[in-house]
Amino acid sequence: MKKRLTALALAALMTAGCLSGCGGGTETTDEGASTESTGSEIVINYPTFQCGVNTASPVVDQLIEEFNAEYAGKYRIQKEDVPGDANYVDKIKVQLGTGDLPPVVYGGGYNLLDLALAKDVVVDLTPYVEADPEWKALYSDVALTTNSRDGKIYASSSEGSLVGYFYNKDLFAQAGIDAPATTWDEFWQQCDKLKAAGITPLALDTADSAWVTSLWAGAMIATSGDEGYEFMKQMNPIDYNNQPTIDAFTNVQKMLQEYTTLDAIGGKYEHAANNFLSGQAAMIANGPWMIGDFSDETKTTADFADKVGVAIFPGNFVYDAPIQGYFVTKQDDPALEEAAVEMVKFFTSAHAQQVALEVQGMVPASSTVEITETAKQNYPLLVEFLDLAEGATVRTDNLQATMYPNLLDVVSQDLPLLASGEMTATEFCQTLSTEAAKNQ
Amino acid sequence: MNPAWRTLSAKERILCVLKYIFLTICVIVAIFPIAWVIMSSFKTNAEILSNGIGLPSSFSLTGYVQALAISPILKYFMNSVIVAVVATAANVFFLAMAAYVFARCQFRFKNALYMLLSLSLVIPMTALLNPVYIVVNGMGLADTKTGLILVYTALNLPMSLLILRGTFLSIPKSLEEAAYVDGAGFFRTFIQIMMPCAKGGLASAAVLAFLNNWNEFTFALVLTSGQEARTLPLSLSYFTSQFSFNYTAMFAAITIAVIPSIAVFAIFQEQVVSSLTAGAVKE
Repeated sequence: MKKRLTALALAALMTAGCLSGCGGGTETTDEGASTESTGSEIVINYPTFQCGVNTASPVVDQLIEEFNAEYAGKYRIQKEDVPGDANYVDKIKVQLGTGDLPPVVYGGGYNLLDLALAKDVVVDLTPYVEADPEWKALYSDVALTTNSRDGKIYASSSEGSLVGYFYNKDLFAQAGIDAPATTWDEFWQQCDKLKAAGITPLALDTADSAWVTSLWAGAMIATSGDEGYEFMKQMNPIDYNNQPTIDAFTNVQKMLQEYTTLDAIGGKYEHAANNFLSGQAAMIANGPWMIGDFSDETKTTADFADKVGVAIFPGNFVYDAPIQGYFVTKQDDPALEEAAVEMVKFFTSAHAQQVALEVQGMVPASSTVEITETAKQNYPLLVEFLDLAEGATVRTDNLQATMYPNLLDVVSQDLPLLASGEMTATEFCQTLSTEAAKNQ
Repeated sequence: MNPAWRTLSAKERILCVLKYIFLTICVIVAIFPIAWVIMSSFKTNAEILSNGIGLPSSFSLTGYVQALAISPILKYFMNSVIVAVVATAANVFFLAMAAYVFARCQFRFKNALYMLLSLSLVIPMTALLNPVYIVVNGMGLADTKTGLILVYTALNLPMSLLILRGTFLSIPKSLEEAAYVDGAGFFRTFIQIMMPCAKGGLASAAVLAFLNNWNEFTFALVLTSGQEARTLPLSLSYFTSQFSFNYTAMFAAITIAVIPSIAVFAIFQEQVVSSLTAGAVKE
């Protein structure tokens, strides 16, 4: 009998443990949440992927230090490292599901704002922005579009996404090319010239959403005419079965088959970057945040920075849109919400944008932010690019920023099939449309 | 030349050579990944990405210096040791008790209960994330080693239960009956008679649980926020981001992380192997 009772007790204990672990429920809790108060000081726990080797890490560290000094005794930011961009997105999604979001979330290029808005957990920043003319002045029309929904401002940007492409001047000279192409016809001729000279024209990738390759695709769509331009202006398009997109991916197929390195198929951004940094490919499309790598001797040779030129895309096109910024989430404690708003205001101020420009070479979100002498000295290539970009007549956001997040995986999975010829550009676009429609 | 070699026939010599070739291949397959990681920790990023299997152009410890500067790898390593060891010990101890009951005792709904517990093996990890996060937060154990230990103990439940129940079933009942005749109670029989006999199963369950705990990433990411409870797998994410990478430092960090484990295994390999093969009792 004793043996049986012990058996039952042990089995019951196991089952109770198992069931309590699996039990969910929708009730959310604030315990162990993202804040803690120490006396009158409000602590803002700020999870961020901008740590480790992320180029924005020193910028965030400096801003936190300055914020904590300025608001000493009132507010304090406690940085939580969430290394890896994808890990950050995963963690925020879990916290979104459990109703336990941190007070400030950085939307970055991951469109987290819309996911949070769908759960109605985002603080409307409109009254705060309207009440502060200095803050309001930093919002350009494009920044308002990126950070607003239904006429309300929900987020604030600190970084602009001004993207063109970099080229290796030595390799261009070897192929007899004097200057970057201004039209797509000229661009293809230059690719042929480089190839004929035994130089791989393009550094491309297909894995991890194929950032570099997607930039070329988007540029071709945007400069194809009105239909393509309007398509690139759409937020979350669901129909990719249009001629400009099909033509662009037909050209991407050509790029992957004829004008790039072997490791582009299945390769990540790192492979594309390394092929450019090691002089194995002549061109790479990317933003100014890459400029620092040109003088990083762990990645390239000491004199490489002198060999790099910068250009806007053929068709006088440049990607130009503020990166979706910081937003504040609804909290039980109104004082914490106020603190979070102050943090967002500080992190997106003109000063913060200048810090990012000087330390990281990041383009400010607002055109009113002055390009300082320090920035000009640190990043001469950036200044050259900003001058070129000013003359661009066609501007849109990038393809990945406007597509539904689930399409990023589709791009990575299907680009190798497009490259191998197992899939046509029409089929590729059809797949994108089918997957995009699942979000409706 | 070995005198024994002369006594072998031609056929035996060929077989002997083939045997050594096979063993050499096995050794290369086993050692190559570790050697590659260590070698890569001395290469530059460009060398790693351009020529993965080439030798480094120079031997520099820069990667190791950067690894320690970029990521709190030593702190995370100690956290990993504590969390993985305690969770493994707790898992094996509690699951041994449960498995013994399932193997030996008769009670209502035993099979249904066993099925229920075993079925948790097929629940995907991602489906557990939200409920586990809510429970751990609710218990005030977020960002603590205790929270991770509890979760890891539970995560390995089905596999350990499966292994240990099978182990206890394979031990002859006559051993317990002899213990009862000698006056031992239920608990004493379990601890002093059955546990030593189940050493093989316990070692297998412990090794599997330890490996899972040591490598687990997702729950460690979601359930921790500070440096006090984070474990080793998270530290490796510090070296790559969307537009930046430092593979040299990452491989140096991996080397720092795996060398102690390899050293421990090398020192205790006899005990580990003997515990895996011990406990085979036949009726």
